[in-house]
Amino acid sequence: MIEERASTHVYRQKRMFTKEELEAREHLCVHEQPPYCNAACPLKLDTKAMIAAVSAGDFDRALALYDKITPFPHILCALCEAPCEGKCKLHEVGEGVSIRELETAALRFGAPPKKRGLLRKKNKKAAIFGGDLFTLFLAGELCRKMYPVTVFCQQDGYAAFLRACASGMPEEILAASEQTLSRMDITFVWNTDPAEAFAEKNASFDLRCAAYDTAQLLFPGLAVDEAVMVCREHRLITGRTQGVLGAAFGAKKAALSADRLAQNLDPANTRGEEGSVETRLYTSLDGVSPSQRIPCTDRASAVAEAKRCIQCRCEECIKGCAYLQHYKKFPRILTREIYNNVSIIMGDHMMNKPINACSLCGQCSVLCPNGYDMAEVCHIARQNMVTTGKMPLAPHEFALMDMLFSNDEAFLCRPQPGYAQCKYVFFPGCQATAIAPATVRAAYLDLCQRLEGGVALMLGCCGAICDWAGRYEMYDDTVKFLDEQLARLGNPTVITGCPTCKKQLSSHAQLEIHGIWEILEAIGVPEKAKRLEKPVAVHDACGARGDKATQQSIRRIAESLGCQVTQTPYEGDKSPCCGYGGLTQYTNREVAKEMTDKCLERSDLPYLSYCMACRDRFAREGRESMHLLELVYGTSADHCPDISAKRYNRLSLKHHLLEEIWNEEVIAMDLGFTVAYTPEAEAMMDDRMILKTDVIRVLQSLRQTGEAIREENSGLLLTRARLGNVTFWVKYEEVDGGYRVHRAYSHRMNIVNRL
Amino acid sequence: MAEKNYYTIDPDGKLTCMKCGVRLEKGKAKFLYLDNGFPVELPVCPKCGFIYVPEELALGKVLSVEKALEDK
Ligand code: SF4
Ligand code: SF4
Ligand SMILES: [Zn+2]
Repeated sequence: MIEERASTHVYRQKRMFTKEELEAREHLCVHEQPPYCNAACPLKLDTKAMIAAVSAGDFDRALALYDKITPFPHILCALCEAPCEGKCKLHEVGEGVSIRELETAALRFGAPPKKRGLLRKKNKKAAIFGGDLFTLFLAGELCRKMYPVTVFCQQDGYAAFLRACASGMPEEILAASEQTLSRMDITFVWNTDPAEAFAEKNASFDLRCAAYDTAQLLFPGLAVDEAVMVCREHRLITGRTQGVLGAAFGAKKAALSADRLAQNLDPANTRGEEGSVETRLYTSLDGVSPSQRIPCTDRASAVAEAKRCIQCRCEECIKGCAYLQHYKKFPRILTREIYNNVSIIMGDHMMNKPINACSLCGQCSVLCPNGYDMAEVCHIARQNMVTTGKMPLAPHEFALMDMLFSNDEAFLCRPQPGYAQCKYVFFPGCQATAIAPATVRAAYLDLCQRLEGGVALMLGCCGAICDWAGRYEMYDDTVKFLDEQLARLGNPTVITGCPTCKKQLSSHAQLEIHGIWEILEAIGVPEKAKRLEKPVAVHDACGARGDKATQQSIRRIAESLGCQVTQTPYEGDKSPCCGYGGLTQYTNREVAKEMTDKCLERSDLPYLSYCMACRDRFAREGRESMHLLELVYGTSADHCPDISAKRYNRLSLKHHLLEEIWNEEVIAMDLGFTVAYTPEAEAMMDDRMILKTDVIRVLQSLRQTGEAIREENSGLLLTRARLGNVTFWVKYEEVDGGYRVHRAYSHRMNIVNRL
Repeated sequence: MAEKNYYTIDPDGKLTCMKCGVRLEKGKAKFLYLDNGFPVELPVCPKCGFIYVPEELALGKVLSVEKALEDK
């Protein structure tokens, strides 16, 4: 029995990791980094969203996004140097998206956005002296910020002013911009010399801005801090810019400086990030074929060009992992939420389920360009919860008890008869013995026969189960126990039947450890091996992640047996988990099923696995599924034992081999009564994780206490017994010599009499 | 003062205790889990105190309370 945690009222807390480590982990994820085009735009156009809008045919929205970044979209668009285009990811495989053409299309086909709601004018007044491209944009920016703006200029009207500011601009652009400008709430004082106007009027304005020429006339040799577009000495907003993008960006910086100056702050005060940035985004180009630019002559062609955009983003992890898909969360968010969950002392721990649903398979760390390791986060969280007494036992108890069974009642450790010390020990793993005992037997007999120096046998569990459950103390005990058993055998070379056992044992046993596949490659497959002349999909076990040698060895053996090994997506190190790993199968059946489906969607072919848990889960889903050893030893692979049979198989294999190989007679315990089950009861028990041995113990208790009740309607009897942390109820009828079980159910809650 | 019961079922004379040979009656019981307790009324044998937890209760209310407490 494993101790249930004592109480929900235990208020212990331990941090999973430091704030710095949390941040370092979060930093690995680049999902929220800006796409390449966005990052290149100093005006921070949400280029990706704008292109998405065009590709959806929504030119209004596209224009609204574009309009947001500048008061004069027509002018900007006409001459923009478009640094975004050069950064387009598609350049790596073909031609990048014509972003500027799409902006032009937005301007042509989109309805101008409605004016923003009526904001109150600010009470600080701004004056602009002289016209150039920078002051034109600045006038627009300040007007958008609701400063009352007055422009003093030499020209006699909008058209002349625009021509002076934006020389070389096509006529239709000027015409469109004239409209824009004339509708803005800006006061123009025409036919004025800006320098003279400055001398006369500047004192009556709070914010003074000047075209660079004018500024130089006023203050020859003035020093401008171009980062903020301010000459501090004269408290003058001005500066030199280059090109239309430079002017538009300069005006943005200047307008922000105006805000600071209006509050009597230094213009450099708290400005945040400005201009273009470097992005750390990763975007896979897998499956992206090169394409060419489509000239945007009408709506349809603009939409077609926009559709070439691949909407850069990183979702490598979530694409491959059913668990992340289930919770619809990226590792960064999940880590933060798990971290917070673990830090809560009282109240609901909403993230317990996600913490326990990860299969700890490590696929994410391979798929992520930066190696984000969600498995480690969930594993640490589980251990942390065990430490603080916050880990519920219920989700893992069945698996843990199963492991204790493997390493106790069903455990076997014997040298090969005739050898005091053996050169090898065969460690098939708990799942192989539970699911395919005949295969284990055949493999062991084969190894004994064909290997020199004696092969011991050890039937048990490597400890993966308690490790996955976060029960580190139990794991340490298991490691110690196994190491002692291995020492008793004289520390032979270990031959494991399972890649997870190989991985687990390699982490402690200071011994030579091989997978049985390596041995089979060295000594050849036995003659009676079953050939399978057909195409198969090899499913790589998560226990073999990072173990290329194993992955390749399996394929060579499969091919030597006639299999045509096909390539599947997510193979090798990228392989998803079957749903057994991390105990997902026990903690969250829904997620486990989604994991299995994700594995199976990669191919319609029969699946060849080299982990018995994978083989079992695929077979349960109705897929033709076999374990490599079932092929090698010609044993049948068409059975899916239920939970009781999995225990029975382990025990009976042990007893059988003790008799067959070591000549030890095992005296079967006679219950003294028979127990039969209706088919409904059997299915129900498998589903509810109730073992036949549990039912037998309840009936044994019944025979001692006589405690039962009769249901008058059905005439059936009910009894119950508390076994460990669980109360089991059995509904039965008495038959000749024993019982026939109709139903079984359980609860963990204790139910007691009250006076 | 009557204690509030979280759950009540009346056996309606449909259950018999095999040991005592009497009908189960509605009786006082208590759910206990992880140091939390809830008073309930369940079918109880008036002689030996055997408490009957029906399947629907075990798989319904009891399970959901267990789960809620496990994640506290
Ligand atoms: S793979 Fe996932 S975790 Fe890694 S950077 Fe991309 S989105 Fe973030
Ligand atoms: S299930 Fe596997 S791939 Fe998904 S988060 Fe967990 S360890 Fe990563
Ligand atoms: Zn009674």
